[in-house]
Amino acid sequence: MIKYVLQRILYMFFVFMIIMFMSFVLIRMLPLPALAPNDPHTEILEIRREALGYNKPYLEQFWIFIKGIVTKWDWGTSEKLYIGRDVWSVFMEKLPATMIVNLYSILWTIPVGIALGVWAALKKNTWVDYTISTLTMVVISVPSFVYAFIIQYLLCFKLRWFPFVMKAGTDYFSWAMFKSIIPPILALSFGVIAGFCRTTRAELTEVLTSEFMLLARTKGLTKTQATVRHALRNCFVVVVPGIFGEFIGIIGGSLIIENIFSIPGVGGLTLAAITNLDYNIFMLSTCFYTAIGLAAGLVVDISYGFIDPRIRMGSKK
Amino acid sequence: MSTMKKLLAVLLALAMIVAMAAACNNGDSGTTTGPNSTGGGEGTTPPATEPAGPTYTITEFDPNAKYTYNDWTTSIAGSWNVHNYQSENSNEIFQYLVDSFYTFAFNDELHPMKDPTRTPFDGYVIIPSMASGMPVDVTAEVAAEHPDWVPEGATSGYAWAIPMREDLYFDTGYHITANSYVEGMKRILDQRLQNYRSTDVYKNTYGIVGAEDYFFQGQENFQSFTDMGTTYEEYIANGGSVDDVFMDIGEFWGIETAEGKTYESITSEVEIRDPAVPEGADEDYVSTKYLWDNYLGPDSVSGYYQAGYVNQYAGTVKSYPADVNYDDVVGFYAKDEYTLVEVFKASCADFTLFYNAIQDSLILVEPDVYDSCIKQNADGTWSSTYMTSKETSPSYGPFSMTEYQTDKLVHYSRNESWYGYHDDVNNVYKDPEDGNVYRLYQTTDIDLQKLDGVATAKNMFLSGELIGYGLQAADMAEYQHSERVFDTPAPTVFFSLLTGNKDGLDAREAAEGFDTTKEDIQTILCPSFRKAFAVSFDRQAYCDETSPSLTPAFGIFGRTIIYDPETAAYYRDTDVAKQALCDFYSIDVSKYASLDEAVDSITGFDPAAAKELYTAAFQESLAAGYITDADNDGKCDQTINIKYAVSNTSINDATQLRLDWYDASLVEATKGTPFEDKVHVVGECVGNTTGEEFADAIKAGTCDLCLAGWNGSAMDPYNLLQAYTWDSYSYAAEWYHPKQDMLTLTLNGETVTMSVYDWAECVNGNDVTVDGKTYNYGTNNADQETRMLILAGIEGKLLQTFTYIPFANNGGKSLLSWKVYYVTDEYNAVMGRGGIAYMKYNYSDAEWADFCAEQINANGKLTY
Repeated sequence: MIKYVLQRILYMFFVFMIIMFMSFVLIRMLPLPALAPNDPHTEILEIRREALGYNKPYLEQFWIFIKGIVTKWDWGTSEKLYIGRDVWSVFMEKLPATMIVNLYSILWTIPVGIALGVWAALKKNTWVDYTISTLTMVVISVPSFVYAFIIQYLLCFKLRWFPFVMKAGTDYFSWAMFKSIIPPILALSFGVIAGFCRTTRAELTEVLTSEFMLLARTKGLTKTQATVRHALRNCFVVVVPGIFGEFIGIIGGSLIIENIFSIPGVGGLTLAAITNLDYNIFMLSTCFYTAIGLAAGLVVDISYGFIDPRIRMGSKK
Repeated sequence: MSTMKKLLAVLLALAMIVAMAAACNNGDSGTTTGPNSTGGGEGTTPPATEPAGPTYTITEFDPNAKYTYNDWTTSIAGSWNVHNYQSENSNEIFQYLVDSFYTFAFNDELHPMKDPTRTPFDGYVIIPSMASGMPVDVTAEVAAEHPDWVPEGATSGYAWAIPMREDLYFDTGYHITANSYVEGMKRILDQRLQNYRSTDVYKNTYGIVGAEDYFFQGQENFQSFTDMGTTYEEYIANGGSVDDVFMDIGEFWGIETAEGKTYESITSEVEIRDPAVPEGADEDYVSTKYLWDNYLGPDSVSGYYQAGYVNQYAGTVKSYPADVNYDDVVGFYAKDEYTLVEVFKASCADFTLFYNAIQDSLILVEPDVYDSCIKQNADGTWSSTYMTSKETSPSYGPFSMTEYQTDKLVHYSRNESWYGYHDDVNNVYKDPEDGNVYRLYQTTDIDLQKLDGVATAKNMFLSGELIGYGLQAADMAEYQHSERVFDTPAPTVFFSLLTGNKDGLDAREAAEGFDTTKEDIQTILCPSFRKAFAVSFDRQAYCDETSPSLTPAFGIFGRTIIYDPETAAYYRDTDVAKQALCDFYSIDVSKYASLDEAVDSITGFDPAAAKELYTAAFQESLAAGYITDADNDGKCDQTINIKYAVSNTSINDATQLRLDWYDASLVEATKGTPFEDKVHVVGECVGNTTGEEFADAIKAGTCDLCLAGWNGSAMDPYNLLQAYTWDSYSYAAEWYHPKQDMLTLTLNGETVTMSVYDWAECVNGNDVTVDGKTYNYGTNNADQETRMLILAGIEGKLLQTFTYIPFANNGGKSLLSWKVYYVTDEYNAVMGRGGIAYMKYNYSDAEWADFCAEQINANGKLTY
């Protein structure tokens, strides 16, 4: 197992470096915005571009970039969006807001989604199942920003239960902050709940009809015991990767939800970096998400072994 | 008697109580005795700080009340370093943290204009702010000490001494003196930092003498002919040598020489690897001389010479001496502790001096904080975190930054160390309503938060959480008649930019896939078609239907363009400007009671004339062979699909609305003509661009139409002419040649004919020689009436190109919260309505919260 993990980490590193290099070259290949003729600032921008090595070969530029990270953990300085600021500090400053909103969201969406899925599966082909399944389809079909606008209009404007936007500041665990992020949490939650509900229902419905479930019942287990001990564990082989996927989403953020509720997160950072050709921010966010994605993939693979003991990682047989 | 004594005692006691109350009173009804109201005024020198003799009392605002200005924006800048900022968003952040030597103030009894007929708050004056008096011309003195700093023989206009107040401080406690500005100048010109705004200091027309030499010391600097505002041919014609011409190989090839230079002489025979050519193929190694002789130069063997290309990639290189001493070179120094001397590259005075030359707020920084923010990056470059956070943003303006969260919020509170809160001379005004004298800035706090959508902003505004809300088209029905709606005009005119690039249109028709039997595009070139197009659109309807912020436009210059900054007079309000429009739109002024009535009758929309012109255009196009009428039915066989350049990767709803409107207008206008249902507008996405690629498509003729406009030069329409007459700026450079378009004007009894280009040059202060006589109608050589005649003449000529078809004046309509009010409702292009400095409050924050709660409980929202 350990050997398998180490091997995967080594592969991860190679894949990470390849993605990093490809991203670096591709973003640098994008043509720089034309500088306005006769604008006096054109001269200084040309000088700056020259100093930043934009005319140097890509390999040389990449080497300087890597050297900065390895020797000083220097991810570079923002040249467009946050001029002069260290991009790592900008990224880290914005990450908590995204994480806190998404974390609160999944903390209640996963249990609720799974619970609804279990309930629908257990009540298969009853009005409960039909209601949950229909609502699930409806909710999944509507993008989260639609809920965001409805929630903001109803709960914030008409009923005045919550502030319109996320509270400023970094007191992420204060009551005032929590109250201010309830609307985005709700907006993010509906789709996730529906997703987990649908997956759980589908998997559990299938498992519940398996022969080993019949065996469990004939051995004398109650329906609840059989469902919890055997059926749920089996269907989690499919559900758990989805949970890990949601955790990756915690860090990724949602561009639209963040905009609507004025959440100072990382949702639109990568897009803004590409639009403005802020190379260092783009590279940091790309590398960050690549690393998280690769690590999550490894964690998901390993988790299979814990959920279903029949699955063995790295086994040659 | 005892009763009298008792009464006297009671009266005395009452009097003492009243006196004590008055002495202790710090409420909003309190007053402070002020000095003589002699401050400011054009050309006057106000007393330094404490002139004797109070003649008015200042009504103080309640010091215990909090007045918060809640603003919002769609984007909060991530950096607002005054030395390095690149966008208006940054200016939005630092504007409250800085101040200037001189400032604009509404004219009132305390700050009167020279013209006695002006009524309070209908104009503005320039008054000292951080300066203690008006600048003193020290050109002669400086010329004697530094003869190389001013042109030989010059005795005025180049060097100015600015007396400074002595009570200036940063909120860090740093005391500001003349030397502080010198330190700021050294830092903005710090070669390591390559500050974006350094060019404003060394390169502008009114740049500081010697700043360029200090900035580039020990370096060589390549400048293309385009950057220099000239051409290769002009350079050679003016005595320039080919030996001094270099090619920008860094831009051209993306490479540098073995010595690390990105430019190479066009006479150099050193062979350079051309990365675009495979190794071993012909011309894989070429010298710049070879390239110039064979391809680029005017006498190239291939004949490929293109002036625009050469001017972009060729230029000259200047070498700067190394190890220069700041004091010996830069004309920006402290004469004494509180007197700063600035020596400019060009002569300036009055408005030009205050508005264009003195860029003090750009220069001053808190040196200790600034130096602590500089660091060297891994790639060897240097950068600064100055003014990127609350901690690194020292203020010497009216507010201090007390909170900043990236992409979320900025909060400001009063900067108590700002001199203005204790200045009884310049930072006061007489309220036109109640006649009391108040200090500027009743606002105690400013909250600027980032909001993405107008829907959120609108709901927050209606909940009392924002001070203003810009109305959208959908809001007009509900709010357009509200007493809280304010119209804010902008100087920009949006025009329908119609291509005239024949080569581009020919190329499109010749391209594979273009079926000339079914389609045509060259008809756009026909003069009658262009005229017909211009009168096919009901501009008023467009503005009403699409955006409440727009109003119909009929001229090249907008309604708030000021031609005389000294008097704040609008060009569009002048008779010559009105007459120019009447002439262009063929309005017979004699049929109207006045010129005003005549110009008011212009709509720019004439369906009958359009139909006649389309019919004439049909004949022109047939004659030119652009279109056919094979069956002689008097109808065009081809469809003309006019491509509208969309600056995006997809067409959004707003753009589609515009396209549909254009198309429907043309369909209606061509009904009953040979082009009936044959002229349409279709969207063509040219990519999601931040530049002007959409306009480039029109220039090149790959697209035919777009809505465009020029920003800036709101107080200098003469300067704005360059946007139309300089090839490097002009959208129409490929088909409209201002140097060949002649214009005859009669000025002061003399009839003069010269090209539009030359008129534009000489009205901007450049010498132009015609038939051996030199003309210069610059600001120092001609009166405003003469200059305006030239401006109106050029405007008429530009309109006649039917390339710039005026469409709409930019502007905005917004709702203002009940919480505040403007001291004047009249909009002034320079002062606006006074901004935060003059803003008054109906409610303090606490009172406002109560008011909102009451209103919302009753109505569900605030009503406007």
